[in-house]
Amino acid sequence: MRPILLQGHERSLTQIKYNRDGDLLFSCSKDHVINVWYTHNGERLGTYDGHNGTVWTVDVDSESRFMISGAADNELRLWNVATGKCLYTWEFPTAVKRVAFSEDDKQVVCITEQRMGYQCAIRVFNINRAGDGNKQSKEPAHMFNPVGSKATVCAFTAQPGVIFTGHESGKVALFNLKTGEEVHSNERAHGDVVTDLQMSEDRTYCITSSKDKSARIHDTKTLDVIKTFTTETPLNSAALSPNKPYVLLGGGQEAMSVTTTSLRQGKFETRFWHKVFEEEVGRVKGHFGPINTIAVHPKGLSYASGGEDGFVRVHNFDDSYFKSQPYGDLQIED
Amino acid sequence: DDQRESENVNTELIALRRRLVDEWNAWRARSKAEVSDDKGRDLAKEKQSEEDKEEIE
Repeated sequence: MRPILLQGHERSLTQIKYNRDGDLLFSCSKDHVINVWYTHNGERLGTYDGHNGTVWTVDVDSESRFMISGAADNELRLWNVATGKCLYTWEFPTAVKRVAFSEDDKQVVCITEQRMGYQCAIRVFNINRAGDGNKQSKEPAHMFNPVGSKATVCAFTAQPGVIFTGHESGKVALFNLKTGEEVHSNERAHGDVVTDLQMSEDRTYCITSSKDKSARIHDTKTLDVIKTFTTETPLNSAALSPNKPYVLLGGGQEAMSVTTTSLRQGKFETRFWHKVFEEEVGRVKGHFGPINTIAVHPKGLSYASGGEDGFVRVHNFDDSYFKSQPYGDLQIED
Repeated sequence: DDQRESENVNTELIALRRRLVDEWNAWRARSKAEVSDDKGRDLAKEKQSEEDKEEIE
């Protein structure tokens, strides 16, 4: 499995995302730009220029028509994927930390940071998909401030009008978008900041990662913790692997406390865990610093990792990976 | 004795894994069924409201 190195960012990666078809990979970074790459050869297809601060988050719709991004310049931007043009910009009093499209591409949810007297806020915007996409409403369709610990990650669930959130305290919760009411919560889902959240294809379960060194699979309706994966390093990202019973975990110590020991101890490796047996099955080396973000191809054909070192590495799985059944012939539902 | 013990451990491990897979698959089947139920109900509701509208007209 020879990785393709995507060189184009000048600073650390914050989030990477495959499109629905898996032919494109979007990456955003502290260098203020968003790049899009062909996943089969690592060629850069384009750059989305305009943000004036760290781009914290991106998401792309299911048609690969619109892309949404959030940044430290307090802006949420809607882009035309094909032309690279910015179609619309929303401005807030604080940074945008997380964005996500709904399953039907008609809505976007975003989290803005708690800072300078402003509370953490969750807003949902209706996306007008007619015409060029440059006629959007300035005001959110819904907005609320989560009570207690601020939200760090969010996504739409399989239930209409309900979003899943992960919080600074380690809490996970479900919110009713229309009322802003916290419908359900698990205060002790994690012991520290929730750093990533990725949904299963049907959005009935999700995986979260945390600085508490663990990742967990949650039922998005009951908030039951289904599985726990405990590592020895703070985790920045966790991803589900479609068509294979694995989860991929990545992390490492903060940049300040990074030492050569961390590299030697394999703290910057992507870890593969069996999602049902909760056992580690393998590790992939490569990055020279913490792994900030991991994404898996929607059909499970490859995976990519983005690091504090500024590189994105795309790994196309080879035949042996698909043929191997290290645990025998067990049918495991996705 | 050692061999018998390791065989026992193996059998237990296989049984444990089998049980974990069965539990996982049962949970997946349940949540998939719930989602399609929910979607079915939403569709029925939409249909109902459309019929209501027609009656009003």
